[in-house]
Amino acid sequence: MILYIMCFFLFLVGVYGAITKRDLIKIILAIGIMGYSVNLFLVLLAYRTGALAPILKKGFNVTMVDPIPQALVLTSIVIELGVTALMAALAIRIYQKYDTFDITKIRRLQG
Amino acid sequence: MQNNFPNEGMSVIVKTITRFTVWLIFLYGLYIVIHGHLSPGGGFAGGVIVALSYVHLTLAYGKNFVMERVNKFAMNSIEAIAAILIVLTGLVGLYVTGYFLANFMGIGKLYTLISAGYIPMLNIFICVKVGMGLYLVFYYLASFKPQEG
Repeated sequence: MILYIMCFFLFLVGVYGAITKRDLIKIILAIGIMGYSVNLFLVLLAYRTGALAPILKKGFNVTMVDPIPQALVLTSIVIELGVTALMAALAIRIYQKYDTFDITKIRRLQG
Repeated sequence: MQNNFPNEGMSVIVKTITRFTVWLIFLYGLYIVIHGHLSPGGGFAGGVIVALSYVHLTLAYGKNFVMERVNKFAMNSIEAIAAILIVLTGLVGLYVTGYFLANFMGIGKLYTLISAGYIPMLNIFICVKVGMGLYLVFYYLASFKPQEG
């Protein structure tokens, strides 16, 4: 149980970084930390002490970890990779336009 | 290896250590791929580690050092060929057994290196696809120039 609570605290670290930092790169890293904490939580749900990797065969009964959250987390990691690459590309384009990563100075539309 | 851009990238310490660590990271990625059907890991995780070895080299030596050595067209082609090979494996399964991506080879003995039928082969294809794709993402992001609006 303590591990799940620590996962939630890791998520809060990501939220803190995303809402208090002004640098775009730091915001991208904070969003990454939020995603990793959710992935860690899902993998920890499937973990069993002393279990083997899930390789199935008839007449072969051992304790195995649950493979479904692992497959889900793998998909989640791929999507997170794409989102991170998209955010980095957008940050580079913003840097080309404004010469800064500071979000308080990126406000040309506000006039 | 001759370095035409000695002033780019990180310091001499980082460059020297990179020469020792980059092939360790690469071989670790290949190990994860080859043992993907026995232990945690597999094609995607190993491919990411293989791509990270290239990223490591780019970060340490600067982008021009890498860009004059790699061929962008070849990397795009290798990635596409790996994707085609994955689909062809599925079609062979469809032809042999009647189901798409069915295991058409014998599964062999459990927990040996050469077992699980076509899964090690698919792992290698996925490693090439993911490794090249992820490094191309980094390559295109690194080749942005700040001056061009």
